[in-house]
Amino acid sequence: MDGEELTEQETALYDRQIRVWGVDAQRRLSKAHILVSGMKGTVVEFCKNIVLAGVGSLTLVDSREVTEEALSANFLIPPDENVYSGKTLAELCCDSLKDFNPMVRVSVEKGDISSFGGDFYGRFDVVVISSCSFATKKLINEKCRKVSKRVAFYTVDCRDSCGEIYVDLQNYTYSKKKLDETDECQLQYPSFEEAVAIPWRALPRKVTKLYLAMRVIERFEEAEGRNPGEISIADLPGVLKLKKELCDAQSFNESHVPDALLERLVSDTSEFPPVCAILGGILGQVPALNPLLMQTHFHF
Amino acid sequence: MADSTAHVSRSRDLDKLLLRPGHLVGPTFEPGPELRDDLRKFATVLVVGAGGLGCELLKDLALSGFKNLEVIDMDRIEVSNLNRQFLFRLQDVGKPKAEVAAKRVMERVSGVNIVPHFCRIEDKDIEFYNHFNIIALGLDSIEARSYINAVACSFLEYDSDDKPLEETIKPMVDGGTEGFKGHARVIIPGVTPCFECTIWLFPPQVKFPLCTLAETPRTAAHCIEYAHLIKWDEVHSGKAFDPDDPEHMKWVYSEAVKRAELFGIPGVTYSLTQGVVKNIIPAIASTNAIISAACALETLKIVSGCSKTLSNYLTYNGAEGLHTKVTEFVKDMDCLICGPGVLIELDTSVTLQKFMDQLQEHPKLLLSKASVKYREKNLYIQAPPVLEELTRSNLNLPLFDLMGKIRKDIVHVTGTTTNNDKKTSCLRKLRVVFKGIDGATDMDTAGGA
Repeated sequence: MDGEELTEQETALYDRQIRVWGVDAQRRLSKAHILVSGMKGTVVEFCKNIVLAGVGSLTLVDSREVTEEALSANFLIPPDENVYSGKTLAELCCDSLKDFNPMVRVSVEKGDISSFGGDFYGRFDVVVISSCSFATKKLINEKCRKVSKRVAFYTVDCRDSCGEIYVDLQNYTYSKKKLDETDECQLQYPSFEEAVAIPWRALPRKVTKLYLAMRVIERFEEAEGRNPGEISIADLPGVLKLKKELCDAQSFNESHVPDALLERLVSDTSEFPPVCAILGGILGQVPALNPLLMQTHFHF
Repeated sequence: MADSTAHVSRSRDLDKLLLRPGHLVGPTFEPGPELRDDLRKFATVLVVGAGGLGCELLKDLALSGFKNLEVIDMDRIEVSNLNRQFLFRLQDVGKPKAEVAAKRVMERVSGVNIVPHFCRIEDKDIEFYNHFNIIALGLDSIEARSYINAVACSFLEYDSDDKPLEETIKPMVDGGTEGFKGHARVIIPGVTPCFECTIWLFPPQVKFPLCTLAETPRTAAHCIEYAHLIKWDEVHSGKAFDPDDPEHMKWVYSEAVKRAELFGIPGVTYSLTQGVVKNIIPAIASTNAIISAACALETLKIVSGCSKTLSNYLTYNGAEGLHTKVTEFVKDMDCLICGPGVLIELDTSVTLQKFMDQLQEHPKLLLSKASVKYREKNLYIQAPPVLEELTRSNLNLPLFDLMGKIRKDIVHVTGTTTNNDKKTSCLRKLRVVFKGIDGATDMDTAGGA
């Protein structure tokens, strides 16, 4: 894993995917260090895909205990209470993931994700955050941007049968092959704070309603001091009121954020396994390769 | 009671879909706890293939609340499977995929029951496939898909207005992947196009003309296939080439290199040699995850009616950015497989043997080594020898008698047919109509007994 060439074992195991993205990409993958926080359904699927692909190392953060809800969407947790009681989500997932590919270093980091400093984040190439408040996402994004080496930052959230992925690759250089020449292109990603602060009127018309709806709910949870996902149908009147306020403040037409969509996202905050698998699959493509013309947000 | 409350909170997300009405639901959707419980107790799904797609499908279906699953796969686990078939470990190499996959999912998801079948899909009697509500496919070849499609469509019956009879419809959900690309489609026989209806979608399969291989190679693949298909027989006449034998593969590789040098063609590597000879499909975990998940979602929707199903073909391309598209293809009214069946008109005197001979000559069928089935009865079976002996006496009897002297009905035949010089096993639905019979009255005096 630390040498320049892939070992014979790696070549045999990764044969089928090397035929997809080449030996170079596989080597880069095997040197990548990934940090993941919030072990819910989508993130768990992502971890499976990235471990199978042969990433260098994977560090998990989630000190929550197992719940019934987690058991129904998280394939990595053994259903035997004798096995799971007393262990955190991160610890249980770590044990299972190691099984999928013994060549990947999977470990657990204890503590609150928002308390870690810049030197901690500097250890990683990719950071994926889920089940986090708006403030925490902003904080971690800022820390990642301050690190001298480039740390790719992703958030992923799944509500009901919808999902959202946010991407910040900072300054991203890639080459584009055109016939005989190769162009060097550069993409400049806005920070999380900048992206979210863009006035809604300035967004392209094709921006999905889901983006706007997620922003409203995010703000609501923030204002009420809730944990992400700690919301129910009883909050709908409050959410709709907030939506009106936000739209009015930006002189933005309320009808662009459908009430029905907000209702749906508020009533069911649990995750749906097939949707988790789809989003986890898409996210799994991401850290592996260039070139990737990913926009800042992806919605399902 | 503690158990039922545990059950309730575990299925909370599923309940949102099944317990309340909505505006995207199917026309016969009846929300309620009975629906959720029926799904658990009665719904049975067959997963065909326990590989890249099959592993993901089993996990997704089990987690989505299906309790009765079966899986069929004829292969054993290999090292190269482990980069995506996550139910398997290094120590499982050599064991049957279906059995290990079933075991692992049952360990992780409490309450699900999965029956594995370690055999070829052709080895199962057609009735086996009829027990399932839906068949989910995770296959890797056109031939296998064709076969299962023919089986599912063989159950389909039409009424006198040529409308499909709903209770005979056997839905399928089919997924396929290669590298960053994949597709997921829903096949409702008689309603949407079946696999054969849209077989024209496939580009012609790569088959190098022998003269190119022998005289004028241009690419590395030509050199490899020359060594594999031509030079091997010249040097090792009689000895069969074994793609799993490293010595054989190394020999082909070194011969391919020699030929490439002769013609100044770059690019022959050992890896490419393996890929060309074994027809390796490049594969990654994430594409399989995405496509299987889409298939699992459709399976849930079809069985429960909880939402609009995919209509009817989704393509996915994750190679540059991410692109998906859904196309609504239209059924081919003249389809041999999902249509009302190939019409065969016969005299009542025609024997079963003569009938089978006719199938060989029929331009739309060209079917040899036929086994014939009528309703639940096997009229004639080619194998195993025990059953062949038992049914041999039927060969000399008139088919009309064997079918209970009915004027017309559906008959199923299995056998081999030749497609593009390749022999494939196939199943065909035939509409047999006896000449000279008018409705209930037997007016056939001219034909004799």
